[in-house]
Amino acid sequence: MILPKLSNIVCVTGLCGLGALCGCATVEEVAPWDRGYLAEAGMQWDMLAREAKLEGHVYTSKEASSGGTGSAGGGCGCN
Amino acid sequence: MRPLPARSPLVRRLSQTVAALPVYHGSVLADAPPAYTEVGVRYTQYAEDSLSDDKVLFGSPDRYDIDITQLWIEAPLGASWAVALDLQNDYQTGASPWFVGATADGSPGVIMSGASIQDNRVEVGITTRYFWADGNAGFNVVHSKEDDYEALAWSMDAAWNTNRNATTWSVSASSSHDTVEPTQEKIPVFIDSETLDTHSLYFGVSQILSRTAVVKVGLSYTYSEGFLSDPYKLRDQRPEEHHRYTLATGLRQHFISLGGSLHADYRYYSDDWGSKSHTVSLGWVQPFDRHTINPYVRYYSQGQADFFSPIADLTSNHYSDDYRLSSFGALTAGLRWTIELGDWIAEAQVERYVSNHGWSTYSGDEAPALVDFWRGTVGIIWRFD
Repeated sequence: MILPKLSNIVCVTGLCGLGALCGCATVEEVAPWDRGYLAEAGMQWDMLAREAKLEGHVYTSKEASSGGTGSAGGGCGCN
Repeated sequence: MRPLPARSPLVRRLSQTVAALPVYHGSVLADAPPAYTEVGVRYTQYAEDSLSDDKVLFGSPDRYDIDITQLWIEAPLGASWAVALDLQNDYQTGASPWFVGATADGSPGVIMSGASIQDNRVEVGITTRYFWADGNAGFNVVHSKEDDYEALAWSMDAAWNTNRNATTWSVSASSSHDTVEPTQEKIPVFIDSETLDTHSLYFGVSQILSRTAVVKVGLSYTYSEGFLSDPYKLRDQRPEEHHRYTLATGLRQHFISLGGSLHADYRYYSDDWGSKSHTVSLGWVQPFDRHTINPYVRYYSQGQADFFSPIADLTSNHYSDDYRLSSFGALTAGLRWTIELGDWIAEAQVERYVSNHGWSTYSGDEAPALVDFWRGTVGIIWRFD
């Protein structure tokens, strides 16, 4: 079956990416006064908190998956 | 060097509320309460495409439209605390698939629930957060009420920095208690009142890689027990327990020469119902003077639940024809724009979501009621001392 193989490829690619990001990537020591770029709004994990909350709720309502990114908030609203 | 962002740590963490646990905790900024009070309002219109006539056996092909209003205020309290109040109202109209039957040639066709269903959901959330030199901790309570569904949830989280604030460790826990009491309107329902309890745990770590890159990885586990079926679907009998796992990672990389930042995120999801998924998101954030443009794309690939079939198999212990449990792939493309005008920030966003059975990396049966939708948002924020 081609599709399961594609699934495995995606999974392996993701895990390789994860390894590259977390294990193989070079970690430089960055002084506190040299973190201006890291502090920019565009470098934050969720730039707009309410948008991330709403986005998570929409996807959770329309897909089988949940968790991992953003949040779903309380309640259903899931028709 | 650009100025520090105007967003507070509390705002960033407000997205990390209840039912689904957050992956992204922590910050590369110092842990401190916001320096100002913020008041904001957002309006979002969500509109699902109508089903094509050849997929509908009975009922209106029109689906859901939702008007969403978000209001919030957050403020510092003394030197170490912050508090926020969030309100959200969702007004829903339209119809959803009731069940899937067979057409004359045997192919699946959707019987819709009927048009003009209306519902209103009101959500109230309160968040408090305490900050200290090397970290912060928050507590959040949310109550959600609609005509047929009520939820009360809480969450606690903590993040602390080590390694000269280059590494941030995060943990959180949350729990919710939901009650569903279906309304007897256009279609018959077969329960009066049922409950659902959900508990979640999360652990994550972020690491500064360089003065322009930061990476994060997180694991979450969610356990639900109770009524997990959809009372508005005729043929939907799901297990009463659900174990869900996610592994998620993300990268933020700033490009000095371009003045913009790359967002790259990946999530793997698996549960004991047999569903699995991959989610990949990419975005670019480009500031121009007072403006910021943020185009983004998302690819989602899902494998079907063990008990899903296009036409529910009623001879099994568990069965469902809910398209959300089928194998499909989905593409999202969107664009966000913000502008800062003194103490005011305005935002606008438009997003398109399209799903297709053939776009999944998993094999499985095709559901006839996959959803496509548009989502548009406008908002404004006022910040003052």
